[in-house]
Amino acid sequence: MNLIAGVDISAGALNANKTRLDIIAQNIANAQTTRTPQGGPYQRRVVTFETELIRRTLGGGPSLQSVRIGEIAVDRTAGQQVHNPQHPDANAEGQVTMPNVNLAYEMVDLITASRAYEANLSVVRSARQMALKTLEIGK
Amino acid sequence: MLAPALLISGCVIDPIFQSDNYHLARTLLDAAALRHEAIATNVANVETPGYRRLDLSTDFASRLKSSLAAGDFARRSAEIRPQLAVDGAARSVRPDGNTVDLERELVAMNRNAVEHQFLADLVSSSLKQLKMAITGRVA
Repeated sequence: MNLIAGVDISAGALNANKTRLDIIAQNIANAQTTRTPQGGPYQRRVVTFETELIRRTLGGGPSLQSVRIGEIAVDRTAGQQVHNPQHPDANAEGQVTMPNVNLAYEMVDLITASRAYEANLSVVRSARQMALKTLEIGK
Repeated sequence: MLAPALLISGCVIDPIFQSDNYHLARTLLDAAALRHEAIATNVANVETPGYRRLDLSTDFASRLKSSLAAGDFARRSAEIRPQLAVDGAARSVRPDGNTVDLERELVAMNRNAVEHQFLADLVSSSLKQLKMAITGRVA
């Protein structure tokens, strides 16, 4: 048993949410990128989470599960076609394929991820106080 | 000369380590630590589809209550251990079937932390009383 109860569970969730924030930052940064090493415009990345078993409890009860990054997948939906003949990446008809990043979606995801991060952080903070209080027993 | 010492051990030392309150506080401290882990799991899995929230099993509370009513808790406290169970009373209001409500988890976490603090203080003050009885000094 850990001295600080549940800190390994929250640590996994913090890590996963931080990676999600990084990927959202990458999507927003590349909202206008029309050239990538793979060729074509940037394609939005999506993070999927998966559960991670931390510990089975005594007596066959439900297990304690954390969260980790399962996969960083590529969103394959087509990007918007913009008519801009001056653009170096425009095709013969003057159309440029933009990345499939939708800023509104990214901002909503950003807020969800940062709220989840804060919630897990407050769980860690509270666990720390509990551990300190336990260490004070008898003093 | 041994008789007065035995008398003291019969009156002061035993009652503190065998009193219902002391054993109850110990069991409930374990329960608070375990519940904190359950809450950490719930907050970590706030976005896992189909996840059902964990809590202490209601069985634990009823066994504790019946044991206290029977008056043999101090002897049987080792048998009554807190266990986790899926919270069957929680209903999902989300399309993904997840039964975690972040606000409710954070409120439960704070409440649990206060309970833990109170129990730790209780155990601490019992031990302090014992120390005072042994040494005859307040500090």
